[in-house]
Amino acid sequence: MTDLSMLPPPAGEAVRGPAIAVRGLGKRFGDLIAVNGIDLDVPRGSFFGLVGPNGAGKTTTLSMVTGLLRPDAGTAMVLDHDVWADPVEAKRLLGILPDGLRIFDRLTGLQLVTYAGLLRGLSREVATKRATELLRALGLEDAQDKLVVDYSAGMTKKVTLASALVHGPRVLVLDEPFEAVDPVSATTIRGILADFVSAGGTVVLSSHVMDLVERICSHVAVLARGEVLATGTVDEVRAGESLEERFVDLVGGSTEVEGLEWLRTSSD
Amino acid sequence: MVAHLVRLKLTLLRNIFRRSRAQAIGAILGIVYFGALVVLAAIAVATLRSTLPDARLYVPLGGALLVLAWGLLPLLTFGTDPTLDPARFATFAIPYRQLAAGLVLAGLLGLPAIACAIVVAGTLVTWSVSVLATVVALVSAAAGLLTCVTLSRWVSALASTAMSSRRGRDVTAILGLVLVVGLGPGLALAGSTVERFESVMPTVGTVAGWTPVGWIWAAPADVAVGQVGTGLLRLVLGLGVLAGLGLLWQRAVRRQVEDPNVVGGAGESKGHHGLGLLGRFPDTETGAIAAQIATYWQRDPRYQVGLLMAPITPLFLLVPSLAAGTDWTVLLMGPLIAFLIGWSEHNAVAFESTAFWMHVAAGTRGRADRIARLVPSLVLAVVLVPVYSVVGAWIGGRFDLLPAIVGVSVALAGVGYGLSCVMSVVMPYPVPKPGESPFTTPPGGQGARLLAQTISSLGTAVLASPVILLALLTWWERDWALWPTALSGILLGGGVFALGVRVGGRIYDRRAPEVLAGLVRD
Repeated sequence: MTDLSMLPPPAGEAVRGPAIAVRGLGKRFGDLIAVNGIDLDVPRGSFFGLVGPNGAGKTTTLSMVTGLLRPDAGTAMVLDHDVWADPVEAKRLLGILPDGLRIFDRLTGLQLVTYAGLLRGLSREVATKRATELLRALGLEDAQDKLVVDYSAGMTKKVTLASALVHGPRVLVLDEPFEAVDPVSATTIRGILADFVSAGGTVVLSSHVMDLVERICSHVAVLARGEVLATGTVDEVRAGESLEERFVDLVGGSTEVEGLEWLRTSSD
Repeated sequence: MVAHLVRLKLTLLRNIFRRSRAQAIGAILGIVYFGALVVLAAIAVATLRSTLPDARLYVPLGGALLVLAWGLLPLLTFGTDPTLDPARFATFAIPYRQLAAGLVLAGLLGLPAIACAIVVAGTLVTWSVSVLATVVALVSAAAGLLTCVTLSRWVSALASTAMSSRRGRDVTAILGLVLVVGLGPGLALAGSTVERFESVMPTVGTVAGWTPVGWIWAAPADVAVGQVGTGLLRLVLGLGVLAGLGLLWQRAVRRQVEDPNVVGGAGESKGHHGLGLLGRFPDTETGAIAAQIATYWQRDPRYQVGLLMAPITPLFLLVPSLAAGTDWTVLLMGPLIAFLIGWSEHNAVAFESTAFWMHVAAGTRGRADRIARLVPSLVLAVVLVPVYSVVGAWIGGRFDLLPAIVGVSVALAGVGYGLSCVMSVVMPYPVPKPGESPFTTPPGGQGARLLAQTISSLGTAVLASPVILLALLTWWERDWALWPTALSGILLGGGVFALGVRVGGRIYDRRAPEVLAGLVRD
């Protein structure tokens, strides 16, 4: 356990309303119900982990919350602004790192982050200054004049994170931010996110890695088959077990491996 | 070791017949058919024996072209037969000299090399007028063939070095396009000079015989007509070329075998400093998006293909004028380029692929997006449309029609842009993804592609039809229609353009997430 997991839940903050409030949010793709009318509150100032098995609806939920995918039902509020009724204000408050979407990778790192700032209405001077600072903080200084298409997967994640941060959002929504990121970069990113939270920001991230969520998040929600199975502080959700054990309990499904005897070398 | 490589190549050759019965039969039929052509060509070469002075012109020219073709072939067919790529042998610890020699000899066993060998064998007959000439011809034929294969292997090694870098792939894709596009007008121009063919040939043949790719083929010709000194000189020069190529090839093999991974990896992405165009466009949302798109025009081959195609296409209108003396087609050069430039923006958003999320996430305003997206294209139009309008009127000798030509051009460009503003958010269809070859056609979406392209082109024609009608009246010598064509063209083009930006912007504001969802699905 690192000290970050000991962060107290942001007491009293909830009075002013959650950072993200989701009510009855639903999305269906053809016959498949991806997200089944879920309710979810992300308290202000929390470090919120969204966990779930593959196909649980994590990316779909995060896309609907961030204004990238129009929900079929329900509402998503970001700091009291409805993402779909008042998108301009809600989007201003959000910084996002989507998973599986491309970026403008024929720009250099510096150009990409600056461009993200300019799109958000920063002046060129401010955007350039912040982009340079962010790239330095993320250790991309030497690569800032290289095209992003030539970056490694981890560097691409970092430059996308910089693009999400450049306009100074209040709420960060990150889909799989640590995937393909090396341990050193992961530590850097965790540090930046921890600073962001301690300065009053809110972070929502999705992950497959329970151990990581247990260590760095203050709150967690477990999502499976488009439903929220549990939500609360990490301690509440894991109820004395490790988060991974609790997760397997909640999501169900047998972890007993049947068959595959030929895989065991002792069988011959 | 050399024997191993030759056996490998023979096995590969035999495997052509081992795939399936249908493929084997197809291969045999092909070989019989082309084999017959090759034998005919060899006989044609051999019959030149009766007219030695002609043979002395045509054989070196043909030989020189043959060598050049072998040099260009690996660029066009790159990657189709990588079985004998030196880098593949890197793990086998074969001495590079043996590998280089073995790969060239194995290359001689390919079907193209065998075909060439048969044709070249014809020259042995051509020059068999004396013992000395026959001997020189034998050396020349063997050395010539080796020159072809060695050059081809070396170019292919260079190409694979270049292709292993992203920049190299981009450049090669574009070079390929230029070759393909240039072929049409090039052949048409060559065809128009065909009557001068007879008079130019002697010079071309003589010159070819004195180029590095022609020396080796010209040597036996000199000896056959009695100029033994010149012949031996060219033989030595030709052998020198072969030796030089051999050294280059050996070095390339050595580099690839000893260092297969470094090849082409270094030196990428240099020379982009600071903000580039992002620092030079106006400091607004529109300026930023326009700068991003202009940057993509510079760096993404998918845009560059269009950028190269558009200016070249009107040149095709020169063909009827050059070939048949029809002069009205050139008057359409301005309108054609205007139409192409405006119309080609009808799927602009799809080229961004899912990177479009950045615009959705930032809540970009539709109006800003619509205008910005057209800026680089507008710059192109502002330069090319007037140039082609004036050039067309000049070649066609109808400067009096220039106002009508400009009117139609502005109408077509404006209407095209206006429609594109709407179409690119209403009906985006799949295009090659960033980094894919501009020539691939993405699977699926054929129907959507056809529909969107038809609506955009027909729609442009229909909306611009009043101006086109007036222009036709002008052409049919109703002189009063000249200036109304110009005026109505500018008004209609400008009007539809402005309307398109407004309507397209509104739709964008409402539908941006749906457009993104469509791009994610593709």
